[in-house]
Parts: sequence; C-alpha cells; structure tokens
Amino acid sequence: METQLEIRLPDLGDVDMVRVVAWLVEAGTSVAEGDDLVEVETEKTTFVVPAPFAGRLVEVVAAEGATLERGGLLGRIEHPA
Amino acid sequence: MAGSSTRRSRVLHVALGRADYEWTLDLQRTLHARRRDGAIADVVLTVEHNPVITFGRSGSRDHLLATDGELRREGIEVFDVERGGDVTYHGPGQLVVYPIVDLREHGRDVKRFVAGLEATTIGTLDRLGIDAARRDGFPGVWVGDRKIASIGVYVRGWVTRHGLALNVAVNPSHFAMIRPCGLPIRTVSIAEIVGRAVPLGQVLERFVDGLRAEFGWDLDPVGLTEVLDTEAVA
Repeated sequence: METQLEIRLPDLGDVDMVRVVAWLVEAGTSVAEGDDLVEVETEKTTFVVPAPFAGRLVEVVAAEGATLERGGLLGRIEHPA
Repeated sequence: MAGSSTRRSRVLHVALGRADYEWTLDLQRTLHARRRDGAIADVVLTVEHNPVITFGRSGSRDHLLATDGELRREGIEVFDVERGGDVTYHGPGQLVVYPIVDLREHGRDVKRFVAGLEATTIGTLDRLGIDAARRDGFPGVWVGDRKIASIGVYVRGWVTRHGLALNVAVNPSHFAMIRPCGLPIRTVSIAEIVGRAVPLGQVLERFVDGLRAEFGWDLDPVGLTEVLDTEAVA
C-alpha cells in the first residue's frame, strides 16, 4: 500500500507570487527527505525547495515557468507505507 | 564577544578588497556549505570584483550586447550563476555585498530580507544626498529611471548567498555591454550623480553601518582565516 503526499510551497514569509524555475529531479525519481527538489523564484530570490519527505516523485504539478500563490501545489510524492 | 549596549546578533564581516568573481563564488559556496552545517557563524562578505558579466537563473544570452572579441579586449569574463535575476555586470568601482546568513535566525522571510537589503542601499545613498527608491515590477534600486544597484539572492537550506551590487564609480562603457533584465535600462553610478570622485571604502563603511541599523547585526570585522577556522564562534 502506498500513499501519495502533496508537495506544497514552503512558507517563505510574506511573499505573493512564486515562479517555478527548474525541477532538479525528474518524475519517477526517488528522493530522500531534505534532498533538493525544485528551484523557485520570488522577490529577486532563487529558493531551493527541499523534499518534505522521502519517496518517489510521481507527479510534477507546477511545471517550469508556472506561477503559484502561497502554499501552492508543486507536485506529489509516493510514500511507501 | 563583549555584549555591549543593545542586543545585536552575531554576524561577522569580511572585507575581501579586490577579488576575482570566480574565486569569490567558490568562497561563497564553501562558506555557505559550512554555514548550513553550523560550522561557522553568519558572515557578510564585501568585495570589489575584477570585470565580469554573470547570468542569473532567468538570464538570457540575448541580453549580452558585446562580442567575444570586445569582452576579451576588456578582460571581461562571463559566468552562469544560481542566483535569481537576469544579466549583471560586476567590476571595479562597484561595492558587492554577499550575506551568507541563516534566515531561520533572521525572521525566516525571503521578502523581508531582500527589502532590508534594498532599504540599506537606499539609506546609504540618502546619506550621500542621493534620492533613490524601489520601482514596482523592476528589481534593484533606482535613481529616477536609472538603475544604481542590482539585487539577486540564492537560498538553499534557508542559508543565503549572492546579494547586491551598488555602483559607486563604474566604467559606463562596460555597462553598455549588457541589457539589464532584458530591458533598455540605463545604469548610473554614485560618482556620476554627485559629480565628484567617491571612494569605495567610504560607501562600504556607510553600507555596513546601514546593515547594522537595518538588521541588528554586529558585523565585527574579521579576517577570512578567522572565519574559516572558527568552530568556537558558531
């Protein structure tokens, strides 16, 4: 049995729009908690979002170039239960 | 450190003087990794670079207007870097500031951090009699429609690197080689506005004072070897 967990933008403070610059791992890849996952850009800052938990990246929801609001959905990780 | 008057947070200041961009980039990466490991304290590097053009994550080569020959003749190197933003020029007569700080200990707010750097720049210019401001939708700090400072920060593991560049007395012909942010933007230096030579060291001193006031950092001046050998400090 596997569970799919959502990867959401971490709280970067009082920022509005965040743009997805580059995914650092491809869908299908397994990651450890804390691994570099995706680079986002806001307020003249590139921020590297770490994997919030271990598992396999099964879906990239916000593709490169997409813009997200606070707490927006980046992708999904499948976590072996 | 002696706890003097008001409560200040421990942030070191290393003035590197004149240094190559690539060497400084390696140094930033080393310090960044060691800060993430908790092996060193927060540190702010200040530096004046030899001429270089760098491209941020959203940078486009179309915004480089000089030919390879022109770049070679002027001794200007070109690099791709991981900071946010587009194309930027660094060179003599420009004050570059690289804070390597753990934002989890300074408010955990990317926007506030960048706004603090901008406010410090605007305050420094104000003390020189220059009226500068932010412009909505345009990164950096501006004097009217001319850009006087560029900002581009990179954050990994909540630790920052890269930072800002303030034009004190930059060679205008070097600026003409790029199109900052991909726009037909005019760039300006402090010396051009005040109409006299302004020593970089004087601006540096005021800027560091401004950082102390803005962020509450102590910014004790230390040598690089002290930072790299400072398990005791963290």
